[in-house]
Amino acid sequence: MKEAICVKGLTYSYPDGTPALGDINITINEGEKIVIIGPNGAGKTTFFLHLNGTLKSQDNRILIKGKDINGMSNSERIRKVGIVFQDPDDQLFMPTIFDDVAFGPINMGMPEEEVKERVKKALSKVGLEGFEERVPHNLSYGQKKRAALAAVLSMEPEILILDEPTANLDPKSRADFIKVINNLNKEGITTMIAMHDVNALPDLADRVYVLNKGIIAEGSPMEIFSDWDLLKDNNLEAPDIFKFFKVLGCFGYNCEDLPLSLDEAVEVLARTIEKENGHVHLHIHEHTHAEVKDVMHSYNHHTTWHE
Amino acid sequence: MDYPEIDRYASIDSPIHNFDPRAKIITFMVMIFSFVFLDSITKALVGLGIASLIYIIAKLPKAFVIHRLKVVFLFLFPLLIIMPLTVDGQAIAQYHSITITLEGFQYSSLVIIRALSAVTLALIMLGTTRFDITIKALYMLKVPGTLIQMLMFTYRYIFVIMDEFQRMWKAMESKGFKLKANRYGLSVLGNMIGMLIIKSYDRAQRVYQSMISKGYTGNPGTIVNFKLQAKDYAIALPMILIALFMHTYHLVL
Ligand SMILES: Nc1ncnc2c1ncn2[C@@H]1O[C@H](COP(=O)(O)OP(=O)(O)O)[C@@H](O)[C@H]1O
Ligand SMILES: [Mg+2]
Repeated sequence: MKEAICVKGLTYSYPDGTPALGDINITINEGEKIVIIGPNGAGKTTFFLHLNGTLKSQDNRILIKGKDINGMSNSERIRKVGIVFQDPDDQLFMPTIFDDVAFGPINMGMPEEEVKERVKKALSKVGLEGFEERVPHNLSYGQKKRAALAAVLSMEPEILILDEPTANLDPKSRADFIKVINNLNKEGITTMIAMHDVNALPDLADRVYVLNKGIIAEGSPMEIFSDWDLLKDNNLEAPDIFKFFKVLGCFGYNCEDLPLSLDEAVEVLARTIEKENGHVHLHIHEHTHAEVKDVMHSYNHHTTWHE
Repeated sequence: MDYPEIDRYASIDSPIHNFDPRAKIITFMVMIFSFVFLDSITKALVGLGIASLIYIIAKLPKAFVIHRLKVVFLFLFPLLIIMPLTVDGQAIAQYHSITITLEGFQYSSLVIIRALSAVTLALIMLGTTRFDITIKALYMLKVPGTLIQMLMFTYRYIFVIMDEFQRMWKAMESKGFKLKANRYGLSVLGNMIGMLIIKSYDRAQRVYQSMISKGYTGNPGTIVNFKLQAKDYAIALPMILIALFMHTYHLVL
């Protein structure tokens, strides 16, 4: 398998002295589906800015497909890595949606016909056909988000990076957005996403990195969410379904792999019931309440603020 | 919210709306220059009449121009008081040592009439074209790229900043703040404006980063296709001729 991104010992402080990243080492293979989680101010955005050379690293510490990002030409750089930032208003800076989506391809030096072709294709991928002439300030937030994605997709990058794509979206837009990202990944694009939304995470991640200035942990979503101390130390959460099945465990429910999403939960539940001859037994014994309390407590570090 | 969109009526169908944007800019600029250099009240009034006629042809709603002309008039109104008192000439009224002169009155009227027709023309020009198209037309007319980008970003982010101000304002109001023209009120307002500037600065940085991410190298990357047609010449020519005629008719007639 070929390496898409390889970061070796990346350290970065902002010019004002704020340390943002410390000794980051990451290797991501082509076609992988990666999620980066970490509290606010952990350095996720800063890290992403390095991956397409917007912020410059010291001596070739960032290799994209084996090649140093700082040694790439402008058009090669944007062809390899596309970043969708969090606030769509930052990314739709041209007068019309067409201009925004055409901006990357034009900078790649493409002929006019091809640029138009790309714009059309990118807009249809995000479900905004016919929005060319619209002006950004008349779009809804969800539409702006999708337009911002289209403006990156038009460059047809091999690696797609998204900074908190699901933040502030309504449930329907969120589901649509996740579907679009997943389809892109299935087409072979390597996706890397920063997000806080742990309930949506299992849909978007094969592998998870926990970032907090440095890389704190790496593993499958299951491995990460099973590590209570890790979550607690980094102000992170586990999916509600996962927590719920942990609680079920205290009531005597018995299954090996805990589900991370609703879909998985249905599957797991069906499997367990079949295995137990058609029903599950839940019961309360003398330790149950203490155990439940224990589970609740280990995942509820977020409520300390109210105490 | 209610944006001050100059191009709100750009989708109306009229000969002026369908006029090629580049030809429109050039034609209207010639007319504006011609009209602001007219040297008599009679000519200036004819100019204002022509501007109004074009306005009617453009089918723009009355309120669109009157609302804005009112502002211009208010701005220039002081001239009507100051100039008759200060310009030397034939006195039409006298009160002790204060004289009101005819020339002063004429000059100030001339200035105001010229300004009103120039602004009317400019409003027709901007009001009948989508603003992004106006910018692109300027780009095609070889206006420097830096200027084009300044226009683009101003146009794009004025709305974002207005939204931001609106949000801050609502947050303030929901905490019981009412603007009064006292020291406290003004200092709060000052703080808000300061915050807005800082936010805009941060945003500028993020916008720049996202531009770099899309391969920005300093050019206003955009594609424009305009085609001049016979009808564009048919509109541009008479308008430019009128503009020239206003200054040269005494040579011809
Ligand atoms: N332009 C900047 N100048 C100085 N410090 C910054 C700048 N941008 C971010 N930081 C700081 O760098 C750290 C990492 O920020 P960021 O990458 O935005 O984190 P995240 O995206 O994970 O929330 C934070 O402490 C933040 O305050
Ligand atoms: Mg961030």
